[in-house]
Amino acid sequence: MLRGTAGGLEFVFSDGEFEETAHALRSRIGERPDFYRGSAASLILHGGPPDEAAVAAFLESMRGYGIEVRGLYGTDAVAALAVRRGIAYLGEPVRPQPAPISSIDRRRTVPAAPPPPLTDAARSLDADFAGARADLAARRSRRTVRVSPAYVRPAALHAAVPVDAVATRYYRGTLRGGQSLQQVGHIVVVGDVNPGAELVATGDIVVFGALLGTAHAGAQGDRAARVAALELAPTQLRIATAIAAGDGSRRGLPEEARIEGDRIVIAALSDLRR
Amino acid sequence: MSARRIVVTSGKGGVGKTTTTANVGAALAKRGHRVTLIDADIGLRNLDLVLGVEKRIVFDIVEVVEGRCQLRQALIRDKRFETLAILPAAQTRDKDAVTEQQMARVVEDVAAMCDFVLVDSPAGIENGFRNAVASATEAIVVTTPEVSSIRDADRVIGKLVERQLPIRLIVNRIRTDMVRSGDMMSVDDVCEILSSELLGTVPDDEEIIDTTNRGEPVVTVPGSRLAAIYDKIARRLEGELVPFTNLEEPGIFGRLFAAFKAS
Amino acid sequence: MQEFASQVPAAPPDQKPLGRAIVVTSGKGGVGKTTTTANVGAALAAAGARVALIDADVGLRNLDLVLGLESRVRYHLLDVLEERVTLDDALVRDKRSEHLVLLAAAQAREKEDVDTERMTELVRALRERFDYVLIDSPAGIEQGFRNAAAGATEAIIVCMPEVSSVRDADRVVGLLPQTMRPQLIVNRVRPAMVRKGKMLSVEDVNAILRLPLLGVVLDEPALIVAANRGEPVSLDAGSATGSAYRDIARRIAGENVPVAEPAPEGGMFARIGAFFRGRR
Repeated sequence: MLRGTAGGLEFVFSDGEFEETAHALRSRIGERPDFYRGSAASLILHGGPPDEAAVAAFLESMRGYGIEVRGLYGTDAVAALAVRRGIAYLGEPVRPQPAPISSIDRRRTVPAAPPPPLTDAARSLDADFAGARADLAARRSRRTVRVSPAYVRPAALHAAVPVDAVATRYYRGTLRGGQSLQQVGHIVVVGDVNPGAELVATGDIVVFGALLGTAHAGAQGDRAARVAALELAPTQLRIATAIAAGDGSRRGLPEEARIEGDRIVIAALSDLRR
Repeated sequence: MSARRIVVTSGKGGVGKTTTTANVGAALAKRGHRVTLIDADIGLRNLDLVLGVEKRIVFDIVEVVEGRCQLRQALIRDKRFETLAILPAAQTRDKDAVTEQQMARVVEDVAAMCDFVLVDSPAGIENGFRNAVASATEAIVVTTPEVSSIRDADRVIGKLVERQLPIRLIVNRIRTDMVRSGDMMSVDDVCEILSSELLGTVPDDEEIIDTTNRGEPVVTVPGSRLAAIYDKIARRLEGELVPFTNLEEPGIFGRLFAAFKAS
Repeated sequence: MQEFASQVPAAPPDQKPLGRAIVVTSGKGGVGKTTTTANVGAALAAAGARVALIDADVGLRNLDLVLGLESRVRYHLLDVLEERVTLDDALVRDKRSEHLVLLAAAQAREKEDVDTERMTELVRALRERFDYVLIDSPAGIEQGFRNAAAGATEAIIVCMPEVSSVRDADRVVGLLPQTMRPQLIVNRVRPAMVRKGKMLSVEDVNAILRLPLLGVVLDEPALIVAANRGEPVSLDAGSATGSAYRDIARRIAGENVPVAEPAPEGGMFARIGAFFRGRR
């Protein structure tokens, strides 16, 4: 499984499925070979250590796509493997969350390469259903204020002042059909979102009103993103690359949608315990 | 062999272009043809709503044109008729989002995959209409037997004639009681004023409002009078000579009231 | 404004407030904008106000037809905007009411030909001479709609109880500045169908649109007949639909007339207690 988070790409391998998953990931990246070039990545290995040759081959193929695997999460058993392959061992797999840049940096043992400038595709919030889009440069560049193609130069990034990693758009009022809010970060709407209106956020979406339009949370691939509303009755719901059509029912109680497995699941807000 | 590319237009808004596109398309699909419907009303899309597929829209025509997805990803397969597909318009954009050339290209790409392409045009004669007509090989003009509607249809027919497109007329929302009392023009009057060949005559029927609200094409309603009429329209489009329904006697197919119209 | 000289004297600016400029729009075509503009305008004029109607549907004009004035139209909106004629030459006086005038749209031109700034100036000039300026918008959300809204300070949204119409109306409301405080007229309601669950109710429509309700107008064959004959029903004392339009005119003028949701059987109207608060 491929994830995009604040820290970069994550390659997630379930117990006992390393080679299968590696093959699938290779094909997936191979569909757009230059897209992830310059990205950093970490491996998340669940379960026991996989065959080392397979791991080496995977790292090699990723290197071929310009993806540098810098860290590895897993049980103690894989720590030695990490060391042998020259990758930082980062401990137990962490819960998927947009991690702030600084925590990854602390554990990095290789010097950071100057981040590449943002492409239009990287800056875009459009849903990419051919694969999760890991906007590495954007996350690195959160050290700076706003990015624009002319602005981003590798040297400038290091000198810039760090800002809050994730900005939230706060909108008060009802969104009408045809209107659209897009945000790198979270979106909060106090009001309704009518059918035909759309919300697109790289983070979470919260509607303090009726969500009747279309909402896309985790638009750049964050599967941990959530959509919550006082009334969750969207025309269509999207989280990362998962899409669910609304069933037209209106429960009249606050609910939240999230991804479980490969589906979008909706639960009453009161049922959630964090 | 490429598909027939039919633009459904009217000039005046609200005379039934979208319901006509949806129902004629469904009728053709029901008869086994591969049909793709394209909603060219960018910014005010409704074809998806009328067919009940609004919840299944992932990509739209503007995203196809801008290369952000492939055409086949944007096409929605209808669940009732397996040979029917819909390419929805965008809702958050406007008519400037697509040029005539881009539209023509999409229509041609779609035409390579099916037998009939029906393009639902927006109202008016501005760039939305021009885009919808791009790459069409025929036109269906929808009108109602009302003065303002006919006036606008006439205007649009003029534009279509300039492009040398064969035109056929559908007269929609006929109320025979009003025709009889002289309060509404007859179909013959309409055809004469517009000097166009008749493709179909559709009576005013509550059923259309109901099925539209439910997102169902009327051809799915068993025993429906309107379904039979749209089926006849589909057959005429195939080239068959089908007598026009005498709307004076709804449900009873009596004597013909006009000579057969050649296709 | 020199370029819009007219024999109708403008009151000195400090004496009389500017008239109200209201754009009548909908998004969806065919829901009754033109009929509404004509009928509401005629009703306002019949009650004594000075009313100017502008048909902003350049290229597909219809307001003149609905009022039965098509034979009297010599000049149109673009002739005035492009300064070929004076406003006075182009304004057509209504057959029935001396307080009602019409500025027709051009038939043979395109909507893109209208200069938005000039349009705003024109509306302003009319506001100096008339109590109400009603602008009949074309369908859609393109340049024609933007031109029609240019210079207007208020908006009336006309919507049919039908899903496409509601969706398009919502789109339009989202495009109008909130300062216009749009109000809703639900048109072409068929109470019998609503009762059978085959048509949206006024509440269904306004659950999405959330606009102050200006009026509810029933669907009647009489409307088509009247439009064909060029006679607004609002001038017909015996017409129920005409009465609905007259009520709308009264509400616009600030009167507190309760909006009645019509009962399915026709005849007696059930009161739903939704009082409309007068404005200004």
